[in-house]
Amino acid sequence: MNLVSSITSAVSGVSVGLTDILLVSPMIILFLFSLLPLTIKVLRGNKEQQPVATLMEALIGLALTATLLIIFSGSGSSEAGVPTAFNGQLIFDGLTMWMGLITVTIGAGAMIMMFENPSTRGPQFSELIFLTMNSLLGALVLISAVNLITVFIGLELMSLSLYLMIAMSHEQKISKEAAIKYFVLGSFASAIFLYGVSFIYGSTGTVSTLDLMKNAEVLLKNSNHLFLFGFLFVVLGFCFKVSIAPFHAWTPDVYQGAATPVTSFMATAIKTASFAAFLRIIASKGLIGSENLFSILQWLAVITMTVGNVAALVQNNFKRTLAYSSIAHSGYVLIGVIAVGISQSSAFAAAGVVFYLLTYSLMTMGAFAVLSMIEKNENNFVQIDELAGLAKQKPGLALCLSIFLLSLAGLPPALGFFGKLYLFSAAVNEGLLWLVLWGVINSVLGAYYYLRPIVMMYMRDGSCNTSESGSFATTCMVVVSAILIVVLGLTSGPLFSMIELSLG
Amino acid sequence: MLLSVLIFLPVLFSVMIVLWPQKSSVRHLALGFSLIEFLVSLVLLQRFDPSSAALQMAEKTTWIERFGVSYFLGIDGVSLMLVMLTTFLTPIVILASWKSIDEKIKGFHAALFILQTAMLGSFLAMDAILFYVFWELSLVPMYFIIGIWGGSRKIYATIKFFIYTMAGSLLMLLAIIFMINLTPEVTGGAMSASLLDFYKLKIPFIAGDFFTTQTLLFFAFALAFAIKVPMFPLHTWLPDAHVEAPTPGSVILAGVMLKMGTYGFLRWVIPLFPDATEHYAWVFIAAGIIGIVYGALVAMVQPDVKKLVAYSSVSHMGYIVVGLFTMNAYGLNGALYQMLNHGISTGALFILIGMLYERTHSREISKYGGLASALPLYTIAFIIVTMSSIAVPLTNGFIGEFLILLGAYQYAPAVAAISVSGVVLGAAYMLWMVKKVFFGPKGELVRAHPLQDLNIRELAVLAPMLIMIFWMGLFPGHFMSFSTTSIDHLIKNKHNYSLAVVSTSMKSLEK
Repeated sequence: MNLVSSITSAVSGVSVGLTDILLVSPMIILFLFSLLPLTIKVLRGNKEQQPVATLMEALIGLALTATLLIIFSGSGSSEAGVPTAFNGQLIFDGLTMWMGLITVTIGAGAMIMMFENPSTRGPQFSELIFLTMNSLLGALVLISAVNLITVFIGLELMSLSLYLMIAMSHEQKISKEAAIKYFVLGSFASAIFLYGVSFIYGSTGTVSTLDLMKNAEVLLKNSNHLFLFGFLFVVLGFCFKVSIAPFHAWTPDVYQGAATPVTSFMATAIKTASFAAFLRIIASKGLIGSENLFSILQWLAVITMTVGNVAALVQNNFKRTLAYSSIAHSGYVLIGVIAVGISQSSAFAAAGVVFYLLTYSLMTMGAFAVLSMIEKNENNFVQIDELAGLAKQKPGLALCLSIFLLSLAGLPPALGFFGKLYLFSAAVNEGLLWLVLWGVINSVLGAYYYLRPIVMMYMRDGSCNTSESGSFATTCMVVVSAILIVVLGLTSGPLFSMIELSLG
Repeated sequence: MLLSVLIFLPVLFSVMIVLWPQKSSVRHLALGFSLIEFLVSLVLLQRFDPSSAALQMAEKTTWIERFGVSYFLGIDGVSLMLVMLTTFLTPIVILASWKSIDEKIKGFHAALFILQTAMLGSFLAMDAILFYVFWELSLVPMYFIIGIWGGSRKIYATIKFFIYTMAGSLLMLLAIIFMINLTPEVTGGAMSASLLDFYKLKIPFIAGDFFTTQTLLFFAFALAFAIKVPMFPLHTWLPDAHVEAPTPGSVILAGVMLKMGTYGFLRWVIPLFPDATEHYAWVFIAAGIIGIVYGALVAMVQPDVKKLVAYSSVSHMGYIVVGLFTMNAYGLNGALYQMLNHGISTGALFILIGMLYERTHSREISKYGGLASALPLYTIAFIIVTMSSIAVPLTNGFIGEFLILLGAYQYAPAVAAISVSGVVLGAAYMLWMVKKVFFGPKGELVRAHPLQDLNIRELAVLAPMLIMIFWMGLFPGHFMSFSTTSIDHLIKNKHNYSLAVVSTSMKSLEK
């Protein structure tokens, strides 16, 4: 932060402060780089450039974004306080940094998958990359927004790009259906969210999350119904985005219909960003004591975990299994979010949530990447049975997928176990013992369906193989994620402390 | 350092086996590695001081500071013999699987060494989270060993094994997390997952009220261990797993992995929750007795030799549970001794059955008969092991069961009376099986196959086990002397149990 303040003091008197520009520089860079492939395509007379070049431009953009995020946002412990941009519209604290880093990294992974997956490569690759980067931009806005209107802008930017990305897969009818479904339901959720915001504005006179929480305590004490309803609607809007049951019904269909790289992007980056915004609203101290809200959320968490895991048990399609697994994991994360909400010093629990999202994103991304490599053409929906024999054809890949699945099941020493450990510890610390008990019971259910693909790969004979067309980049990504899951698992202590410190 | 070396050497071996270029010599390599591991454990045995109840050769390094989790290893009389059992059985298992495992040899041996690491880690970890990591890690290689190299219903068996064990251990994880959150009151602020800090906790207990902290924690831990043991009525995964597992898998499962459950009672449950253990001991003793009788009765009607031995395991493990929960010197010493006996005698039985299966590809008792004249050496070995299994004096089984029965008598004569019936039933089903398989008119399989008696390799597999059977039966003192100090210490101080720590680098521990 010293860097920013020193530059600002040097150049004072600019109407939009230089601080603001520097703070949002990751977003600016991200947007400029998203234009690059598109511009080149136009200049070349609407002819695609080499996809490798497009991918490289995008990855450089993401790397710069990540670097700028690390430089300009981060610890709020400096004497200047937490840096905010544009009169408190966007905040750049530790949460922004970590969630932003996770989102951007995962976005890069998704793009690598898009580069090689049969349903996303091809004549519209530059447009897809453009949309992905804009969706990431929306995600960054969403993560850093502390004003409900800005939250909405981020949410819409992220979602609108996503609707298009889902629909863009040209061959599949089912992807169009998924896009429409997601669009209609998503708009509905956005409307509910906005409706809630209007209630909140009506009762508090402000839409800034930071300000309205100062009044929240009084409003809650007087059980101001307008405010409570407004808040509930806002929360439900988020519940839709992160697929909390009973607002999860779109998830399996949309996840299945979208091209696999897009699905993985939705299941990880979008979910991380939405949870970040969710966390920001819940984490505000003003809400402590609103027991009704938290008991509703606790039941939602229980329902979500159970619905996700039980439904996943009976799936035969690998992508649908992962979709339901992602619903179940939303339930686990919600436990952590609740712990953050009721906690007096929320850094510990918030670090648990951030760490879990990191964990979840890595392993889900990896699993989807392996799936993406197995898909032969645009209309290939891999059934779990079709995985039979993968261990014989591609032992390394099968090992990586096993690591991802065992990690998702929460088996030590993989990263997934430590994610669960930290999350559950935070919840137990806040006395949410019965909720954690549900989480534990659900983990057992989860183990069953995570084991099924492993059974198929190793214990049944078959001829499953990756598609013939090259998959070098995705392979690298899978291997790196698998190594990260094992190594980060064993060295997760310092990482967790680092996250907690920067959230403090 | 020695304990770390002992635990992580097999991981290194496993990696080297995977990278080894020559497929034909993988078995020799693995055998050599497992012997090296056994030698390392002999060094451990030699350095161990049996006169001390303290935690020896301890190593402690901070691992996850925020949660007070440390890489904390140590060994005392409770774990020493189980460690030795693990390292002793592994080379035997590798030699025994020389012929029976003939596909994916590299994968098999790699999994076996990872499994060895996990088992040794569970016995040596003195930190709750570290223990849990090793405990769960042991599931994965065993899951693959049963699932890939197993019999016809292997997938059902292996998933059942995995889910059952995991269900129990996740409740234990919840209990561990809860206890970590309790530790600040004894450490003065920081959380700690060290077992020694857990021992210091005074967990409230109200007799008769189920919903008190200690009772709930007790049952959360006990359930995890009871499933692993397995105790009646949680035993149903065991016959499936045993029958479907390949011979080496069965041997390791029966020989060592079941002991992880009973070891858990001894190391975790009894010292951590002494009041609840005393109050609810009758539940476990009752389940143990039912297991003894039920296991024996079910074993009696099995048409499949391997299933018979699997149910006999349920019966024998029932003895160990009874011994543990009598909480007196006879019972606990006997239980610990019986853990080793069961590892050796049941392990040997599974190996012998595997040898027979390799020759005839059948395990059905009714298809055999008159094997004694066809395979005289094999018959001798089988009968010796049978004697050990049914606790005939001079064999190791006698010492263990006798001590447990003494302990049970001290606890309540009725318990001993019912338990004793298991000895009779055990003799009945084992001898009945021996009679049908080895004597009488020659069965169809014996007539149809030109059977070869034990070869040098098989003799080399069986010889150490037979020697141990008599050695442990004739000179129990040689083995018990390592554990009595620790067991006495546990009995004397069970209400405020603690372990002193002896380590090569005391400074790092004082921090």
